[in-house]
Amino acid sequence: MILLDRVTKTYTKSSRPALDRVSLFIEPREFVILVGTSGAGKSTLFKLLTREEKPTSGKIVVGGIDYDTLKDKNIPLLRRKIGVVSQDFKLLPQRTVFENIAFALEIAGMTHREIKSTVPKVIELVGLSGKEKHFPHQLAGGERQRVAIARAVVRQPKILIADEPTGNLDPRHSWDIIRLLEKINKYGTTVLLTTHNAEIVNKLKRRVITLDHGKISGDQAVGSYRQ
Amino acid sequence: MSAKKKPAYKALAAKKHNRRRMLTFWRVIRYGTDSFVRNSWLSIAATAVMTITLLIIFTSLVTQNILNDTLGELRNKVDMSIYLKTKTTDKVGSELTTELKKLSSVRSVQYISAEEARAEIAKENGDDPNVLAALNEATNKNPATLRVVVENINDTSQLEKFVAGNELVKANINPDYKPSFAGERRNTIKTIGRAVNFAQVVGLVAAVIFVIISSLIIFNTIRMAIFNRREEIQMMKLIGADQSFIRGPFLIEAIIYGFIAAFVSTGIGVWALYGSSKTLLSYQITAQPTIDLITRYVPLVIVGMMLAGALIGIISSYLATRRYLKV
Repeated sequence: MILLDRVTKTYTKSSRPALDRVSLFIEPREFVILVGTSGAGKSTLFKLLTREEKPTSGKIVVGGIDYDTLKDKNIPLLRRKIGVVSQDFKLLPQRTVFENIAFALEIAGMTHREIKSTVPKVIELVGLSGKEKHFPHQLAGGERQRVAIARAVVRQPKILIADEPTGNLDPRHSWDIIRLLEKINKYGTTVLLTTHNAEIVNKLKRRVITLDHGKISGDQAVGSYRQ
Repeated sequence: MSAKKKPAYKALAAKKHNRRRMLTFWRVIRYGTDSFVRNSWLSIAATAVMTITLLIIFTSLVTQNILNDTLGELRNKVDMSIYLKTKTTDKVGSELTTELKKLSSVRSVQYISAEEARAEIAKENGDDPNVLAALNEATNKNPATLRVVVENINDTSQLEKFVAGNELVKANINPDYKPSFAGERRNTIKTIGRAVNFAQVVGLVAAVIFVIISSLIIFNTIRMAIFNRREEIQMMKLIGADQSFIRGPFLIEAIIYGFIAAFVSTGIGVWALYGSSKTLLSYQITAQPTIDLITRYVPLVIVGMMLAGALIGIISSYLATRRYLKV
């Protein structure tokens, strides 16, 4: 469950708010698409959810955790419950596919045996079996994004934030990634997706929230792409 | 029953927690060594800069030591002589030697009788038959001498007071030659004393400056290396890695730079010192005590250099990662 109650974020006092009194409720297991032009506030919203930024005012509760009472030392624990995928993959360049995914489990202190049994299953889920020992530079864009998704979901997070995951991919690979996100959602993870791709938004027939100048200008249960 | 179970549960939880910490510790070391090996060019560059840094530190310390030894030698060579009458007996000489040694400002005293002084001149001019003939003919008019080495060549006041006040000295002092620290040579000795002190201060300041500059260079190199990997750090934070897990491997990498650089720089430094010892000696520079010292304590020198390298690396990495680890 994600709850935002009149959340405002202003970076500098003189500028207009990046988010302006945004209230939002997302049910567990929902698949929500967030659309809006550049500067509409999508990235700010995600940064608030991952606690990279603090809201100027308002309340945020994610998975029962009230961010107002969250201590700095517990932020890594919060982030382990949220999977993040971004446009530029952000993989560890000097680590193999297996190691990149295992990293998410190693930081949580999982044992070698647990890692050895979990990672191959996720590699299979994202369709990268046989490429465990490849380094990121040996993979195509779509494959790199799959690694990033595998790393994000390997800890079975309650929420997956996918910020423009298809931004750097061709249409065929974009759809592969979207199908993968749908599959992950079907297994019970709440997915928050941002995209500029109208075709994807229109074909998915999911809830669409439109952000415009830091405010929610539309929230449709089965939405379509509107600029 | 539940009261009995609780401690057992707690102990199990603590055991699990410790096992997890140990696991994380080994993972941090593995990540650090892996990064060192896989970022080979960056590692070579950083290790090379670290080697130069440690070499500068090694050279500064060795130079400082050699300078101190050389200046010490120079101090010992500065002649603080009290000239006595030619007829002074060995008994008086030895008595005065004992008296002088009691002074706190005196390090050592050597008594040279008039006969010994004459023998010395004969020895120094052994090749010249004319000088030898003249020495045989002439009456010995050489003064007997008390050669005094003082602790501080800039402070001869105690010695001057002794010469002015001691009755035995007064009775035997040579009226034709004033003591070297009281006569015309007084200024020369004072000038040498000042120069020696100045050289020591300059040497120390130069060593400190070199160490600071070289530490800044390695700090900057490590900072650049970490700057290149800031996105990695950002990503690790987003995945939920805590500070120690992110920072740890960078510290391990820096320690590896330090360890390798310590071996290489000590090797180069010792080799250069051995190689240049003859040349240094030809310039009257006293390098042998330093060479002996290093030869005797080579393992300790290497350990010291390793610690210095690791410490500089850890501090640099710690500071460089700090700005990227803010929540």
